[in-house]
Amino acid sequence: MSGFIAGYIPLLDLYLIHLGLAFSQYIVLRAGVFSLATAALAGIGAYTAGIFAVKLGMHPVLGVLAGTVMGMAAAIVLSIPLARLRGVYQAIATVAFIQIFVSLNIYAEPITGGALGLNGIPKTVGTGILAIAAIAATYVIWAVERGRLGRAFNAIRQDEAVAASLGISIVRHQMLAFALSGALAGLFGALEAYHAYALDPNQFGFHLLITVLSYVILGGRNSVIGPVVGTAILIILPELARFLAEYRMVIYGAMLIIVINYMPKGIADTVRDAVRAGRLKRRGEDPA
Amino acid sequence: MTMLKLRNLSKRFGGVVASEDVNMDVPGGKITGLIGPNGAGKTTIVNMITGMMPVTGGTIHVGDTDITHAPAHEICRAGLARTFQNIRLLSEASVLDNVMIGLHRHERSSTMAALFGLPAAARETAEMTERALALLAEFGLTRFADYPAGGLSYGHQRKVEMARAMAAEPDFILLDEPIAGMNDVESDALADIFRGFAAAGKGVLLIEHNVRFVARMCSHIYVLDGGRLISEGTPDHVLNDPVVITAYLGGGDDA
Repeated sequence: MSGFIAGYIPLLDLYLIHLGLAFSQYIVLRAGVFSLATAALAGIGAYTAGIFAVKLGMHPVLGVLAGTVMGMAAAIVLSIPLARLRGVYQAIATVAFIQIFVSLNIYAEPITGGALGLNGIPKTVGTGILAIAAIAATYVIWAVERGRLGRAFNAIRQDEAVAASLGISIVRHQMLAFALSGALAGLFGALEAYHAYALDPNQFGFHLLITVLSYVILGGRNSVIGPVVGTAILIILPELARFLAEYRMVIYGAMLIIVINYMPKGIADTVRDAVRAGRLKRRGEDPA
Repeated sequence: MTMLKLRNLSKRFGGVVASEDVNMDVPGGKITGLIGPNGAGKTTIVNMITGMMPVTGGTIHVGDTDITHAPAHEICRAGLARTFQNIRLLSEASVLDNVMIGLHRHERSSTMAALFGLPAAARETAEMTERALALLAEFGLTRFADYPAGGLSYGHQRKVEMARAMAAEPDFILLDEPIAGMNDVESDALADIFRGFAAAGKGVLLIEHNVRFVARMCSHIYVLDGGRLISEGTPDHVLNDPVVITAYLGGGDDA
C-alpha cells in the first residue's frame, strides 16, 4: 500500500507546484489583466534560487526568498508598460516577455548555464514544504477573494469605467494583482528549483504558459476552487491514460477548445453558479 | 453650500467641436436639468465632469476643489457619482455585490489585512455587507439581493445602479438619461427617488431627452445644442424660448 502511494508522490509534488503557478495566472485574470507572464516570472524565481544555490552557495531559505522577491519585482516593472495596454495586446506583450526571458537566459551562459541549464542544485524541498506553500497560497487567494481587493478586482474585470466611476484606482489594483502574481510565480519557481536538481530554460517557455493557462480556463477563473480543480484534472488525466502521455499538449489544446465553447466559465464556476441558481429557485422567487 | 461649477468648458476632437464655453452651476439640494436634442453634447459634458474624457479647455470645480484634470477614481473621492445612459451593472455579480462595490470609497482596511485575511478585513466586509443591505432596503430591492444583477428587469436594474451610486455617499450625482425607455409608472417612482436625493442635500444634475420630465423635476434648466448652451433659466422660461423650440423642432434658415 505504501509503495502504491510512494509511486504517486512525484505526481503530488508536481500538482502542488503547478497549483501555485495556476494561482499566479488566476489572480491577474481575476483583476482583468490578460497577462500570460506567469511562465517567465516562475523562471525568474527558479533561476534566482538556482543561482543562489549553485553559484553563491546560499542557504535555501534565502534562495526561496530571493526568488519570490525577484518574481515580484519583475512583475511590478512589467506592470508599468502593461497598464497602457488592454486585452489581447497585453497577452502579446507578455508572450514576448517570455521569449525575451528564454533568449536572455540562453545567452547569459556564464550566469545561467545557457542552453545546458543549471545543474546540481541540492534537493532541499520535499512534499511537506510544497504542501505548506500550496496551502498558504490557497489561503491568500481565498482571503483576497473575500475582502475589498476581491471586490475591486471583480469590478475592474467586468467594467473598468464603472470601477473608476466608483473610486477604484485601476492602475493601483492591477499593479497589486501583478505583484501578487509575480510573488506566487517566483515562490513556486524557486521551490521547483530546490525540488528538481536541475533547471532548463525551455522549461519556462511557451509550453508552461499553455499548461498553466489551461488549468485556470478548465477549472474556472472566478473562484478559488477553479485552479484547484483544473490543475488536478489536467495532471491526473495523462496518468490515467498513459499511452496518451506523449500527446499531453494535444489533449490540453483540444480540451481548451471544448471547454471554451461549451463551458466558458470553467468547471468549478459552472457548478458553483448552478448550485447558486438552484438555491435561489428553491426559495421560490422570480426576480424578473 | 458646495456647488459643482463648470467654467468655459470646451472639448474638441481634432477640428470637431463637441462642446464650447459651457458655464454651468449645479447647487447642492436642488435638481438641475440639462437638456438638448440628440447629439447636442450632453453625454460629453458628463464624461468630462467624471474624468472619463480629457478636457480641452476650461475648468470644473467641486466646491473649492479643482477636478478638471483629475483621474476618474479621484473624482469619485471628491464626492461625485454618476449613473450611465445605458445601465452598466456588473451583470455576473449579485445585486448585493454590485452595491458593495459602490462602498469602495469607504473601505479603509490595509492592503496587508486584505491580503492575509486579517480580522480587520473580515470586520470591514461584514460592515459593508450590512450597509449595502440597508441601501437595498431603502430602494426596495431586498428580495433581489442574491440574484445576479443581469437577470433583473430594466426598471430594477436602474434602481440597483442608483443604489450603487448612492453607496459612495456623493455630494453630487449625475444622472445620464435615467428614465430612457421607461413607462410613466416607472419614471414616477424614480422621480420620487431623485427628489429624495435633493431633499437629502445632494446636488442632482439630471441629463434628459424627455423635456416634460425635466420641466416637472427641475428648478433650473440648461439647454445644450451643437455643444453650446443656447438657453437657461426656469422651466417656463426655457420651454417658451424660441431658440429652444427651434433647436428641438427644427426650422429656421440654418436647418
